[in-house]
Amino acid sequence: MLFFRSEELVTEWCAARGMTPGPCVSIDQLWALSTTWYATRLTPEAKRPSPAEMRGIFASIGLTGPFWDPEARP
Amino acid sequence: MTFETQVKLAIYRAFAENVRAPAAESLAAGLGASLEDVLAALAKLRADRVLFLEADARTIRMAPPFSGVPTQHRVRVGGIEYFANCAWDALGIPAALHRAGIVLSRCEQSGEPLTLAVSENGPEPCSWVFHSLVRASRWWDDLVFT
Repeated sequence: MLFFRSEELVTEWCAARGMTPGPCVSIDQLWALSTTWYATRLTPEAKRPSPAEMRGIFASIGLTGPFWDPEARP
Repeated sequence: MTFETQVKLAIYRAFAENVRAPAAESLAAGLGASLEDVLAALAKLRADRVLFLEADARTIRMAPPFSGVPTQHRVRVGGIEYFANCAWDALGIPAALHRAGIVLSRCEQSGEPLTLAVSENGPEPCSWVFHSLVRASRWWDDLVFT
């Protein structure tokens, strides 16, 4: 999970390695993920989201489909 | 509170205060517990995907968003420099600490440095992108690669 200056550079990086690019996520979307995932991490109540909760979190910021489904079959 | 939760909180407190992962022996001493009980708690936390351990099953490699080893993703918060496991976790450290910070990383293709200010309300405007090569269902197959 890496940072890139642009989507074009993601494409270049993947092409150089013969890999298929995954979806790109904006920094604002990433912040939404980070706060949802980690805001309570240092508290006793913190728990890892269930697969259904994960799908809901991703969908809430527009990340849908098999790539973002933690239970999707390869 | 379960013993596993006590161990988890002690680990996160150690990361937040000292940057580095605590040793299992240190956790045992701090919690007044046996090393065997701490190792069992670490195994349970690993099984629950709360932590990622090295092959010795006692060294904490990741307590997301914190990394127990140096990485290219650094985060400065309150005069302390932390290491994050990945780009996601780099923003996760200010989020977890509820404090403003500076994310220091790079573009993986061009090498251009990234310096991103993050307040408690979010990052400054930034046109960079985050990319994951691995789909969500495979993240824990090889978490270091992910």
